[in-house]
Amino acid sequence: MTAHTSTLAEYQRKTAANRLGLWLFILSDAFVFAGLYVSRFYLLGTGSRPEVNQLVGLIVTSVLLLSSFFMNRAETAMAHGDRKTFLNGTLITLILGTLFLIGVVGVEWRIAPFGPGDGAAASLFYAMTGFHAFHVLTGVIFLAVVYRNGRKGLYSAERHWAVEACAVYWHFIDVVWIFFYPALYLIGSAVH
Amino acid sequence: MEEQNDSKMEDKKKEAFRVGLGVLILLVVFTLGEYWIGSVASVWWAPLLLIAALKAFLVVRDYMHLPRLFAGEEASE
Repeated sequence: MTAHTSTLAEYQRKTAANRLGLWLFILSDAFVFAGLYVSRFYLLGTGSRPEVNQLVGLIVTSVLLLSSFFMNRAETAMAHGDRKTFLNGTLITLILGTLFLIGVVGVEWRIAPFGPGDGAAASLFYAMTGFHAFHVLTGVIFLAVVYRNGRKGLYSAERHWAVEACAVYWHFIDVVWIFFYPALYLIGSAVH
Repeated sequence: MEEQNDSKMEDKKKEAFRVGLGVLILLVVFTLGEYWIGSVASVWWAPLLLIAALKAFLVVRDYMHLPRLFAGEEASE
């Protein structure tokens, strides 16, 4: 066994342990989101929802789903040694993530006809979207770091754990929104 | 031999891209379906939650690659 293969085997062993750690973190974070999700149904039931713009909801949801597609494309490209597609995919994901943030915090929060203190529906809306937006912001920063390191050529087809971790984290943010979207924008009649 | 490996790798990448695109198309169709249900019958919460669960399943399986977690040290792509 050469020194190179030995080091690669060690890297793969560490990656397997890192992967488990990341999923444990995601599971624990998911419980916090689940708490907010359950609170929404406990306080508002299935008959009412915050008075929000459904079209804006559809647009930001589409942007986030599209970002997940490009993140997956970027990660797949890196796993196959295609650095150019990886960099393009990461950059597009970063831009779409920023657009999502602008859509929720810059547009939806601004046009919402209520403030955070205007009742249960309003409080839940700001808590759920705010907590999620904070995760998106963290993901965008993570993406920027991965993009910068990718440009420096720090990843290869065999060694790209940071890319995989970034992708899994980003998709997790997407999964959370997949559940939040109908809960906030679609289920029940709008209440102020 | 090396060319053959490169071609194999390229084919695997293209196949993975195809799966990613297929998932995106399904996600878009489900999301539009959700939007339609939410617009015409917002009291139908059960189908909306079911669609959300289906979408989440697709992302967790095909984008987050959950099976990698159980594949051990060999899983890299």
